[in-house]
Amino acid sequence: MTTAGTTQRDRRTRYDERMFALMNNREGAALYATAARRRAAVAAHVALTAASVAAGIGMYAADQRWPAFALLALIIPWCLATGVINGATRGLLELRTHVLDERQLAERDRVRARSHRLTTYLLAGAVVGVAACVRFGQVRTENLLVPVLIAVFVMHWLMPMWVAGLAVRDEPTEESEQGPEAL
Amino acid sequence: MSEQVHNRLAMVRAERKVSRQALAEAVGAHYQTIGYIERGQYNPSLDLALRIAEFFELPVEALFSLRPFRPLTDEVYGRKQ
Repeated sequence: MTTAGTTQRDRRTRYDERMFALMNNREGAALYATAARRRAAVAAHVALTAASVAAGIGMYAADQRWPAFALLALIIPWCLATGVINGATRGLLELRTHVLDERQLAERDRVRARSHRLTTYLLAGAVVGVAACVRFGQVRTENLLVPVLIAVFVMHWLMPMWVAGLAVRDEPTEESEQGPEAL
Repeated sequence: MSEQVHNRLAMVRAERKVSRQALAEAVGAHYQTIGYIERGQYNPSLDLALRIAEFFELPVEALFSLRPFRPLTDEVYGRKQ
């Protein structure tokens, strides 16, 4: 038997190995074992992100301190939800290209294409929303600039992760339930 | 063109007592990818199919086919379909 996979592994740095092990750590597997749990994790992440953005914008707009404390309180659950999604996707968006195999690279391309399409719709919605607010809501454009830019940036940043989290399929059959070493 | 590539990977892997993890490491793939190939949810590239065949020291057509494989017992004992 040959070891044709060694060439690809040789290109991995210690950072790659550490990240690969982290992203493939199965300790939290129960949290994303089913499609319903993965959807819940993504929904929680979206809600936490929305709350964090609202707190950040509130801090800017209201010039008060309490939104900063709310933002700090949201960071830990947000990081946990991020970890759950990254665990479910096995680091599809976090690992470097040469660490992923051909199926994962194809999956990453699909996720990026889908999230690009969704982000385009959201940007179009933001343009229409801002135009409507300025035209009919008597809101000054400069008051909308920062909140809308922050919201759009965060969505552009995180949309691939949400799409990837929802696109994950269940683990292949019974062997994986006993761990990858089993047979 | 066939959308589904049939394979005998699970059977050969079990017969040779090779884990998904060991096969994945040998051919430079993720162990989930091996599982998806076995389930028919992912068709490997020619490159990966050849690497898997090379690992098992089998011709690629022994593992992958555009048509469903006959049961091995039929092939061994010559039962006509």
